[in-house]
Amino acid sequence: MLRRFAISCALIALALPAAARTRPHYGGTLRVEAEGDPWQRPGGLARRLVFDGLTTFDARGAVQPGLAVEWSSDNNDHRWQFRLRPKVHFHDGTLLTSVNAVAALQAACASACPWSQLRAVGSSVVFVSDAPMPNLPALLAGDEFLLALTIGADGKTPGGSAGTGAFQVAGFVNGVLTLIANEGCWRGRPFADTVELRVHRTLRDQWLDLSVGRADVVEAPAELLRQAQQQRLNVAAQPDAELLALQVNDAGPLANPMLRAAIAAAVDRSSLENVIFQKQGEMSASLLPQSLSGYGFLFPAEQDLNKAQALRGGLSTPPLTMNADGGGTLQLAAQRIALDLRAVGFNVQMVAASVQPTNLALRRLPLTGGAPAAALDALLRAAGQPMAGVGDNPAALYKAEREALDRHTLIPLLALPRAYAVGARVRDLCLSSDGSPDLADASLEDAP
Amino acid sequence: MPGGEPASSGAFPREQAVDTANDIIRANGKLRRKMMAMRLRHWVAVALVVCGAMVSRAAAVPNPWEQPAAALAEQIAALLGPGQARITLRNLSTVSNDDLPAIRKLLAQDLKARGVVVAGTESASTVRVTLSETGRERLWVAEVVEGSETQVAMVRVDRGATRPAQTAGSLLLRRQVVFTSAEQVLAALEEGAWLVIAEPDALVLYAKSGDGWSESRRLAFVERRGEARDPRGVIVTNGEGFEARAGAMRCEGRFGVDDAAGGWPAQCSESDDPWIWGPLIAPSEASTKLKAFFNAARNSFTGVVTPNLGVDLPPFYAAALVSRAAGNAALLLGGVDGKVQLAESGGLKNVSGTRDWGSDFAVVQSGCGAGVQVIASSSGAAASDSLRAYELPALEAVPASAPLAVEGSVTALWTAPDGKSVYVVVRGAGDRYEVDRVTALCD
Repeated sequence: MLRRFAISCALIALALPAAARTRPHYGGTLRVEAEGDPWQRPGGLARRLVFDGLTTFDARGAVQPGLAVEWSSDNNDHRWQFRLRPKVHFHDGTLLTSVNAVAALQAACASACPWSQLRAVGSSVVFVSDAPMPNLPALLAGDEFLLALTIGADGKTPGGSAGTGAFQVAGFVNGVLTLIANEGCWRGRPFADTVELRVHRTLRDQWLDLSVGRADVVEAPAELLRQAQQQRLNVAAQPDAELLALQVNDAGPLANPMLRAAIAAAVDRSSLENVIFQKQGEMSASLLPQSLSGYGFLFPAEQDLNKAQALRGGLSTPPLTMNADGGGTLQLAAQRIALDLRAVGFNVQMVAASVQPTNLALRRLPLTGGAPAAALDALLRAAGQPMAGVGDNPAALYKAEREALDRHTLIPLLALPRAYAVGARVRDLCLSSDGSPDLADASLEDAP
Repeated sequence: MPGGEPASSGAFPREQAVDTANDIIRANGKLRRKMMAMRLRHWVAVALVVCGAMVSRAAAVPNPWEQPAAALAEQIAALLGPGQARITLRNLSTVSNDDLPAIRKLLAQDLKARGVVVAGTESASTVRVTLSETGRERLWVAEVVEGSETQVAMVRVDRGATRPAQTAGSLLLRRQVVFTSAEQVLAALEEGAWLVIAEPDALVLYAKSGDGWSESRRLAFVERRGEARDPRGVIVTNGEGFEARAGAMRCEGRFGVDDAAGGWPAQCSESDDPWIWGPLIAPSEASTKLKAFFNAARNSFTGVVTPNLGVDLPPFYAAALVSRAAGNAALLLGGVDGKVQLAESGGLKNVSGTRDWGSDFAVVQSGCGAGVQVIASSSGAAASDSLRAYELPALEAVPASAPLAVEGSVTALWTAPDGKSVYVVVRGAGDRYEVDRVTALCD
């Protein structure tokens, strides 16, 4: 965790002026650029600026109060009650109530909610489930359960995206989403007056803009971290913030578990780590990386072609389809995996990301950090393979993870960092435990 | 000297004195050997006593690995049953390799006590013990291999707390916890059996209760908008009571509860009036309180102060009145631009040696060294702040103490009413707030 924390804040010392360090300044415009959609789940940069969850993670991944001030469970974690923070308003002035919180939570997960019942009781929100939910407070801190207003004070659906977060939407013009400070934010006004979020910007353009001072915060994916270091850029990075994994469809040609096990044994993680990701990730054959679970070493990560051949035996499969949920580097990684699989007799064809379903899919899944049981819970939910809640006992967690991996429907490959390159005028930019930048707590040195 | 006897120079010349002494030693060789033997016995006895004391002291200090070794051995024994097993140990954690033999020995002892004897390579069963860890805790894992079957046992081990050692300086800063809270603390003021705390949304009165404080009264502020993300506050004594500022709120009140007068005599309202920024420590005859206008939107002081000091001040975060060698007083300013300046003799002068300063400082009259020091927060990372005392003999801040580490970030710092210590608010792990009193002691 020290490693995680130590470099999760931008290396601002390089940019310090000769004068003493001061309190953060208020004011100014923070210019941020991103390749993806600002509202995408998970990881859309605008989501955490505009919306809050009932709970939140601190920098070390511990669950802290958010829109809920306290919570308790009974009936062996089948029922949870979260008491809402009083006097919190959405950006349009609507008071946060248990009624609109319930509506927002229900809308967030639609039919895939981890609870069976959700209801408003006074100033509290009550969750009930048939299965125990020991990790619900941590789950609610995730990107999936941020509260967007769905019922206005007049009972109608409001226009726009109203949340309770530090920034509110002011407009979207020419690819720039403008967010302005929420003066009445329950956590206090953010330091910057405005965040200009330029979206769908290629990495090349982002880095160019940073170098000429047109951007303050840009993305630095794992495969470019080495280059960022060589260029002496200030970088804030959160190690082990994402899991690169191969999702295997257990319907169709890969219904036989022996074939899926053969695929797991055939993948060469070291070439992904060393060549594609430039040694900026960490090989992982476990869903939770060693830094989170402490037992990751129990899952051997080395390629074993003999074992793969033996598992495959004489079984034949039709050509398999594979896609990757990302551009450039993920496509390269997918092609590398296709080569590995060809070596043991699988014929893999790459298809577009829009093609669904495929036999194989290369995915980046979020790792939330913090308590390992909650992180595993959230990871498997994101992969569409939710498991019954497991408490924080390491042996029970290992057993649950072993069982999940023995299905060979999700093959972990690498734990990857999330990182951002930061301009010299930005200070105190830290990344949360899931690697998202905490722009509300960042300030500008040259703010008026 | 041989024999440990001091040679008397007396009236002898130096060379002669040495020869004479040698003669005495030769003449008393038997006696000398006897004395040496006695001394040797004495030192052996002393050494044994010291060793005995060390051993008993070591025995009194619990071995941190005992409990986890026993717990892991119990799980291993439950998986293996009585018999022999080969044990391997590897370290993937920050446990010192020097500790491995002791851990191995503990495991072997605990296993033996449970019927599992550690054997050599000929054993059919193998126990692979790995000392691992996560960012939060240590994890000891045992893989119990019997034939083709592998079972796993695990125990958690606390990392234990370590505090960096403080290096010595001419002054020693001592920190004493006054109050801790899960709520955000902006400022605090202790007065006898009462403690007033300014929170972002309320002013709270605490009463002394045993070794701690219990909440007595709470005066909630009216709902406000536009609060800063790192709101600031101050509470100063004011006649028989206090004046508190918290963001745009101004409160006045008295310490204690007066039920006849309806509870706690205190009231709050929004105010643009200047803050009393103090108490400020000046030469005793000129002790005064400076008032400064606060810009709540920028969380800093505008630079407009009363009384007028005859010099235009820049916007600043912190100010303190310090006595100068010539006997006059000067205003030390921590500017919004990060510059630390002294306002004296109608001008502003830059102070060097303040690059390590944060935005908070306060003056303390320690009586040590120059008598008055400035205690400043550090400009380090927010999660690992520190405090350090400085003296200002001229226009340079000279460190007068070693840094005093605080477990978190300093969010406020002000001089205590007695002037001999400072109060500091520290935001620690999990957003817990702590009010400490820091005193500068002569080292």
